[in-house]
Amino acid sequence: MAEKKENVLEIKHISVIFDGFKALTEVDINVKRHTIHFFIGPNGAGKTTLLDIICAKTKPTLGTVHFYPENRNKIRLTGMKEYKIANEGIGRKFQVPSVFVELTVKENMILSLKGHKGVWESIFYKLSREEEEHIMEVLKKVGLEERTDILAGSLAHGEKQWLEIAMQLVQKPEIIMLDEPAAGMGKPETFRTGELLKEIKKECTIIVVEHDMDFVKQIADTVTVLHEGKVLMEGNVTEALADKTVQAVYLGRGGERNADN
Amino acid sequence: MKLKEKLKGRGKHICFLVIVVILAFCPFLASSTSMVQFFGKCICYAIVAIALDLIWGYTGMLSLGHGIYFGLGGYAMAMYLRLRDNGGSLTDFMQTGGLKELPFFWKPFLHMPLALILVMLVPGVLAAVLGFFVFHSRIKGVYFSIITQALTWAAYSLFIANSKYTGGNNGITDFTSVFGSTRGTANRGNLMAMFFTALLVLVLIYILASFLVKSKFGKLLIAIRDGENRTYFSGYCVNNYKNFIYTLSAVLTAIGGALFVNFNGSITPSQMTISYSITMVIWVAVGGRGTIIGAVIGAFFINMCEYNLSSGALADIWQYIIGAIFCITILFFKGGIVGIVTEQIPAWIRRFGRKKEVV
Repeated sequence: MAEKKENVLEIKHISVIFDGFKALTEVDINVKRHTIHFFIGPNGAGKTTLLDIICAKTKPTLGTVHFYPENRNKIRLTGMKEYKIANEGIGRKFQVPSVFVELTVKENMILSLKGHKGVWESIFYKLSREEEEHIMEVLKKVGLEERTDILAGSLAHGEKQWLEIAMQLVQKPEIIMLDEPAAGMGKPETFRTGELLKEIKKECTIIVVEHDMDFVKQIADTVTVLHEGKVLMEGNVTEALADKTVQAVYLGRGGERNADN
Repeated sequence: MKLKEKLKGRGKHICFLVIVVILAFCPFLASSTSMVQFFGKCICYAIVAIALDLIWGYTGMLSLGHGIYFGLGGYAMAMYLRLRDNGGSLTDFMQTGGLKELPFFWKPFLHMPLALILVMLVPGVLAAVLGFFVFHSRIKGVYFSIITQALTWAAYSLFIANSKYTGGNNGITDFTSVFGSTRGTANRGNLMAMFFTALLVLVLIYILASFLVKSKFGKLLIAIRDGENRTYFSGYCVNNYKNFIYTLSAVLTAIGGALFVNFNGSITPSQMTISYSITMVIWVAVGGRGTIIGAVIGAFFINMCEYNLSSGALADIWQYIIGAIFCITILFFKGGIVGIVTEQIPAWIRRFGRKKEVV
């Protein structure tokens, strides 16, 4: 029986070097279960690279990432194939909304369902009633329940973002990683996304990369500030914003507008 | 809305049914044997176009070397037919090449069931092995196209160089169809049997392809085409999917090739060339990639153009005409003929209707 740990993800001594350029240097981060954990920092700080490491899009030069599923033994993510990591219950939403534009909203959701990922299974696959209900339930949560038969490509930008979040949710993941979920959204939409994430937090852990400080203030439980590939500090939002070095490197660079609010 | 969608989906099948019915009447109305043979070949081309559409139109992998599978299927069938007509003895090119005994890889083709299995097995295994390495190392896009092209070129050279085993430049010639000779009025029955066999195979492959495309598997192919990364991160081993559809496409193409030699009476390395492979791509592009019916229509349309243009006044420039049709399609009508009917024309009608209202 696996002991139940407080941490769901442990990132240890991760370093990444791209052609001599140190994208990340000895990064150590623990992510706690059922929290919303933000990675923030100026451009080039290595936030997206860190997400890429967790879901194996990029291989680290050094270090390991371990995943502690709720009722199973720990899994070493470093060195695993990305599609296997996805099947272990770690979802990823990309910076640019990447839904399948030529498929309907519902078909997008069906492809994202947990299980049935083999070639033969998918040829003879039939959607069960429970799965259909589950899809509708998740779509209702993100407010797309009336747009099931529309091509995903014809959704508005914000709706695409929500659909991609819904595609992660429908897999019943333990961790979802969101790369700039509020990018290109207006204030009310961003706020709605925040409330949605708070709701989702009950079911899984959420890791977010985001620039919008209002959004961070609205929902963050923990904030890790990255700067030039290193962890600058970690703490809650108030601590992060009060920190002098953080203000100097991050908020000073176009972040003032947000910080003053 | 839903009803309309349903009708739209059916419309394509109805269109296919109409084509099949017209084809079924063809042999009875056609004036000459060569005409029936021509339509028989068109059926084979349509099969190839469906196969190519599955990997290009649906999965987004442009193969510029499907001629190799067409050729392999054709050669496998031709080897059996040649041996059968020869009574199992050495062919003329083997004798010229100085062979005393039938080469070992020709021997399985003495038996029909074995030959029919090999028609599908040889291209299938080749495609699966190639696919394994190519897709496992995540080669895609234009690099994939180049590899398929290079492979076809290599196979073409190999077949020309080993003329005592393959007949070299001349290929394998002068054999009759599975049902016997199809020439002349006396053998019309054989020709009919061959024609309707091909038509039946086309219908079966159409049904198979439509089923696949409609299933979750088919949606995944589209997903891979539009967002390969997203598909990986949704938990699918994309390379397995690509390899499966690539291998299936190769096998279907080989079946097309095997049927083709029955109508053609010969197979030469020219059916294995890159330019022949690109012609296949043109069929799919002009008909409308991403729809099964589009592939079928394209194959018939282009080949009928060719049939009518390659003799007569336009004989010298017909290849330019085909090229022009291809360019116009790529530039202005991405959906091909099917796209024009299902998207452009309704759009024009709508625009026209709106103008009328304003007036």
